[in-house]
Amino acid sequence: MTLPILSLITFTPLVGVLALTVIPSRHEEIVRRTALGFALVAWGLSLLLLVAFAFGPGGFQFNETVDWIPAFGIQYKLGVDGLSVLMVVLTTTLTWISILASFGPIKERVKGYMISFLVLEVGMIGVFIALDFFLFYIFWEIVLVPMYLIIGIWGGSNRIYATMKFVLYTLVGSLLMLVAILATAFAFQAGHGGSWAGAFDYGQLQAWAAGGHFANDLQILAFLALFLAFAIKVPMFPFHTWLPDAHTEAPTAGSVILAGVLLKLGAYGLIRFAVPLYPFAAHTFAWPIIVLSVVAIVYGAIVSIVQPDLKRLVAYSSVSHMGFVTLGIFVFSATALQGAVLQMINHGLITGGLFLLVGMVYERTHDRTIAKMGGLAAAMPIWSTVFGFFILASAGLPGLSGFVGEFLIFVGSFGVAPVIALASIVVMVLAATYLLWMFQRVAFGALSDFLRGLGGHLTDISGTELVTLAPLAIGIVVLGLFPSLVLDLLRGPAQSFLAAAGVAVGG
Amino acid sequence: MSWSDLGTIAPVVASVLVAAAILIVDLALPNRRQAIIATALGGLGIVAVVILLQAGHTGSAFGGAYSLDNLTVFLDMIFVAIAALTILFGVDYIEPRGLPIAEFAAILVFAVTGAMLIAGSTDLVLLFVALELMVLPGYVLAGFARRDPYSTEGAIKYFLLGSFSSAILLFGLAYVWGITGTTRVDGVTAALAKVAAGGSIQPGLAMGLAFMSAGVAFKMAAVPFHYWTPDAYQGSPTPITAYLSVGPKVGAFAIALRLFVGALGPLRADWLPVVIVLAALTMTLGNLVAISQDNVKRMLAYSSIAHTGYILVGLAAYAGGQHSGLSAILFYGAAYTFMNMGAFAVVAALQRRPGVSSQIATFAGLGRRDPWLGALMAVFLLSLTGIPPLAGFWAKAYVILAAVQAGGWLTALAVLAMVNAAAAAFYYLRVVVYMYMREPADELRPSSPGLLFRVGLGVTCVLTLVFGLFPAIAAAATNAAGVFGG
Repeated sequence: MTLPILSLITFTPLVGVLALTVIPSRHEEIVRRTALGFALVAWGLSLLLLVAFAFGPGGFQFNETVDWIPAFGIQYKLGVDGLSVLMVVLTTTLTWISILASFGPIKERVKGYMISFLVLEVGMIGVFIALDFFLFYIFWEIVLVPMYLIIGIWGGSNRIYATMKFVLYTLVGSLLMLVAILATAFAFQAGHGGSWAGAFDYGQLQAWAAGGHFANDLQILAFLALFLAFAIKVPMFPFHTWLPDAHTEAPTAGSVILAGVLLKLGAYGLIRFAVPLYPFAAHTFAWPIIVLSVVAIVYGAIVSIVQPDLKRLVAYSSVSHMGFVTLGIFVFSATALQGAVLQMINHGLITGGLFLLVGMVYERTHDRTIAKMGGLAAAMPIWSTVFGFFILASAGLPGLSGFVGEFLIFVGSFGVAPVIALASIVVMVLAATYLLWMFQRVAFGALSDFLRGLGGHLTDISGTELVTLAPLAIGIVVLGLFPSLVLDLLRGPAQSFLAAAGVAVGG
Repeated sequence: MSWSDLGTIAPVVASVLVAAAILIVDLALPNRRQAIIATALGGLGIVAVVILLQAGHTGSAFGGAYSLDNLTVFLDMIFVAIAALTILFGVDYIEPRGLPIAEFAAILVFAVTGAMLIAGSTDLVLLFVALELMVLPGYVLAGFARRDPYSTEGAIKYFLLGSFSSAILLFGLAYVWGITGTTRVDGVTAALAKVAAGGSIQPGLAMGLAFMSAGVAFKMAAVPFHYWTPDAYQGSPTPITAYLSVGPKVGAFAIALRLFVGALGPLRADWLPVVIVLAALTMTLGNLVAISQDNVKRMLAYSSIAHTGYILVGLAAYAGGQHSGLSAILFYGAAYTFMNMGAFAVVAALQRRPGVSSQIATFAGLGRRDPWLGALMAVFLLSLTGIPPLAGFWAKAYVILAAVQAGGWLTALAVLAMVNAAAAAFYYLRVVVYMYMREPADELRPSSPGLLFRVGLGVTCVLTLVFGLFPAIAAAATNAAGVFGG
């Protein structure tokens, strides 16, 4: 048996949790560094995985299978394709960045915070690599609790309202998803002479679905339940109302992970499970979902323009950007799907960076109101330069990665529905409007009275802060110039996605 | 009666002897609390060994009135665990309030003896007698803090409604006896199978069915027969509330298994709609009312009503043709026992010093003031919510699995159960919010419970985790459910 690298990546943070529990909580510096150390080890392992991953063939690699609950055919089954690998690397990268970015801002209950973050990482990685439907659900739920604590304990003044809203929205979706998962497994079991073997196995379920064996009414109901769970997480309009609250109240690193990874869980679920397992239903609902996506794109952008709070603005821009992702998924084109996944990664890098940058200003000013800012370009030149870079990336400047993802989605969806594609392009103008206008108000002009009152506290960003931003910026440039690095990895997953989704089209 | 009969009912006999021994020790060595506690815990240990020695064996005693099978063993183990845990949690709470330990332990063991007798009853008369043996000591326990008006009020409500429901149940049993001419479960089953095969059931039998359903629903605190629960739970001393929330409830489900699944099995198509309605009402109303509670004990009381609803979903799934509903009930019963007792025990730990209320404000800042107690409570509450990989998650998953498998209306019931579970997250997590996200209102010292108490908390927590990570107990539950064919 080869090295179980997927289990290693997944449970390295858990070992970190165990290590943290024995360190007395008064040694805060040791606690911080231990957590960072384990997050870095997980990151290193995930980079190894990326290098070792065989680019050519489709299908899943590094599979691990252990029987877990044989009575129901539930397995501990892991495996990765190109999509999963990218998501795992995104997760491990953003996790260590978040932990490093929390060194300064988090001063209370450091140990609990770091433990929450590492448990969160276990859940997030697990979701992206689980190939057993039930195991997927368990990892999915594990993500919920640490994020609930991170927002609720270390968040802003209205944190309790925000975290309860986050949990309740997510739980409603995920519990209905559990019913759908069980119904699917039961349909599979009933179709196999009552044998539970493989009833939760992704490969077997997908093969069964590809054969058109899942009845249409089951598909409709199960798809709706899964769609609700994933749409809440993405979040799609009109299920997005928890997001601005959660983002605004979460600590900086919590927002980074929320935007960078948690929203991707929903999109990943749609690509991996909801569409391939229920292709008939996916096609039935494709148009309504496309319309909702476009609404989200436009609505998110328009609402962003009027936001008075920096973090809320970035949060609403997420709704808009993630709308592109769901649009890219449901037009069922290889180009658009590759664009959608690229957009997921871009959004993780860019929005993660924006939240970090906003957090840095908040650390110094304890305020995020755009109207109180002004003239930061003079007071914090490096910060302003980097902020400008991320703003341009978010607005889709050609040469940076944000452009490539959105462009591919336009191209892919243009073939299906030119009107939709055109409507989305208009939004790029809106995006430039709200982002550049915000940048102008924050960075240019004379130093505002509020900021002048802070005097010497307004220092430019530190070396550590630059370290947290650098990997994101590098990623944005590299993916902007060489998108094929990612697109090659996605060719296999895109083809199998279309093959799975295409069944209902053919007949 | 023969000696082999005594061997078959050995756990019940042992349990009665333990209760008697506690009283004798108290008489011989007054004020020696260690001796009393040691007798009680040691005695229950012996009872557990006796039960385990019977594992895998089958037999019947007293002409078929009492049966020893996998179900008996499974339920007996749960009941003994409940008794032992209640004593572990009770000592620290009863003593500072000047209440007698020996009476507490002896009454408790008598009650649990009744529950164990229910587990093995395959005769309607024995079933009723066993039920009364279980609930009568329960009334006494509910009023155990006799100088506390709330305790007395709760006990009186519990007693009046409990006696009333027992009478209703007995009335229903009488109808069954009148129609089938026997009180033996196998005889009743055979007679009713003929009735069921004949098509419609007589009005008398329908009346009996209605009375029995109402009686059992009272005992398990299903809506709309739940009125006694919140008052009895809130008024009782907290460790006794922990007992009342699991002991009589699992006992009532034992009756449901022996009576409805066993004796009335042939008529299950007739009682299925009743169970569906009861389940839907029970979980929905329990959760809705729990949301608005500011007292954690009362909140847990309503949440226990909601859990009754989830367990009833398993019973409905069985009646709907899915045998796995029965193992789901048994697994749920075991998981619920430990996580719920654990949650009540944390409340009891906080109330160790007299005068501390069970209002939610007491929990403010608990995570910082008392990190271990806070973490344990968080585990129990997350398990009650149904977050994987804890015991409560698997309990819900098995019930839902059975219901989804049964299909039709039961799938809708499963969806309703999940919507309820999401709503329940609100009030469970609200306690977590208070523990970890709010500062304490006043300076409460850490409650530092005694050694016995810590052992009890440790056991419940470990079991909540073990059932979650290694759901192998499900296999035992499946074995036990195998008693009813399938």
